[in-house]
Amino acid sequence: MTDKEKEVEKVFIGGLHEKLVEDKIIEESELDLNFSKEIRKYGGKDVMTCLQCGNCTGVCPISLKIAYKTRIIMKYCQFGLKKYTLDTRWVCATCYRCYEHCPADLNPAEVMIALRHIAIREGIIPPFIKTAATNLVKYGQSVKPDPEIDKIRIELGLKPIHTHDADYQTVIREIQVLVHASKYDKLIGIQEEVKV
Amino acid sequence: MNDTNGFVYFFGCVVPNRYPGIEYAVRWVTGKEGFNLDVKDQKGFSCCPVPGIFYSTDKDTWLLLAARNLVLAQEERRQILTVCNGCLASLLKATEYLQEPKNMGKVNRVLSQIGKKYTGIAQKTEGRRKIFEPVKVRHYVEVMAKDVGLDEISRRAKHPLKNIRAAVHYGCHYLRPTERAAFDDPNDPVMIDKIVEACGATSVDYEDRLDCCGAGGGVRSHVIELANALTQDKCQNIAAAGADCIVTGCPFCMLQFDNAQKSFSKDGIPVMHISQFQALAMGIDPISLGFDTHHVSAHSFLRKVRGS
Repeated sequence: MTDKEKEVEKVFIGGLHEKLVEDKIIEESELDLNFSKEIRKYGGKDVMTCLQCGNCTGVCPISLKIAYKTRIIMKYCQFGLKKYTLDTRWVCATCYRCYEHCPADLNPAEVMIALRHIAIREGIIPPFIKTAATNLVKYGQSVKPDPEIDKIRIELGLKPIHTHDADYQTVIREIQVLVHASKYDKLIGIQEEVKV
Repeated sequence: MNDTNGFVYFFGCVVPNRYPGIEYAVRWVTGKEGFNLDVKDQKGFSCCPVPGIFYSTDKDTWLLLAARNLVLAQEERRQILTVCNGCLASLLKATEYLQEPKNMGKVNRVLSQIGKKYTGIAQKTEGRRKIFEPVKVRHYVEVMAKDVGLDEISRRAKHPLKNIRAAVHYGCHYLRPTERAAFDDPNDPVMIDKIVEACGATSVDYEDRLDCCGAGGGVRSHVIELANALTQDKCQNIAAAGADCIVTGCPFCMLQFDNAQKSFSKDGIPVMHISQFQALAMGIDPISLGFDTHHVSAHSFLRKVRGS
């Protein structure tokens, strides 16, 4: 595992307390002025209009458990404090509760998704993304077919999983063409061999 | 009126590869022994693709793969019948993106490499103009409650599950985000509860019933401890309400409930898809529902069902 991957793997338990951004002393050199532009490019169009009311944090099921607080992440994004958003990219459950409860009708969940787009393009790719993407180009499905389940399928009177059938190979070929056309295979670094 | 002939099954990834019992139940309930809906198989479908992976990492790729699936339904002139919240969210969002002419053109330029084109389903012609409607993506719960109807469900429940107290879990992507006209109230959904009651069982209220199971958005794959902590909260609330089982419309939430419970409790509460629950009330032999593949044993639950 590379250092970058370890960074993404890190879990941080912070409890219920929300530390305000004002507690941090921010150096000008830490600011990435293009950060919000980058976020908007990947669909987080609302990032600069957030007024920091904190409703999103209040309804976020993840904010209840760990130091990740939606409002703070929005603030970091506005300031361009990219490094503080590193740990938080893959903990959003995309439940869209923040969006439902935002009084300004903004969509923080899409900002979190934009942060993931940026992370991937910086080479911070969690292993499960690679596994799922590889499964898709190999089997046409993100979940790897399991021979044990096939036995049960037959017992129940269902047809076995058809991903290995000869006529399904054209489907897999089509998927590979699409994934290649959008350069996704290069972006993710899809592996040859996959584990479960 | 929508000029489409029936449905086409879209089972996704989790159901066929992890919970074949759901697939059996859905086929049985919608088939000849059940409500006899017009549903066809379409072998060419791939993964929807899963929003937590593809929508989160590259929206262009996500849209291409989703559009490919939509084209297959468009060629059949049928509505997509999905049994999973993730597939629903992904495909529905894709039809909305493809309403934008710019997105549609971009997607079709790539799809032409595999000889496909997304237009939506042609409905009628006005003068020289053809009117297209986006491919319809429907959740199993919606089809049951709207197309089949609660009266019919209750009439066909030959073995009403009178003794059963069920805790309903909707799952986040059942209705959120609420940008579209939804088939159920996003902030107070009732459809699964109504189906459960039409099956003769009691749907119990519990604290924070609309909370997330914890699995979505890649959280389960990335930080499983965090996902399980959320599930634990839910399960405590469900146990406090004295429920016999958890009923959900989403196989991925089901996977999370089923797998996570062993990390914090010995017995656990059995969890099942709404189609399995319905099939039980309609008198299916429980052996066909594949409860053996579930991690949490359903033995005591099934004993109670037989006592109903």
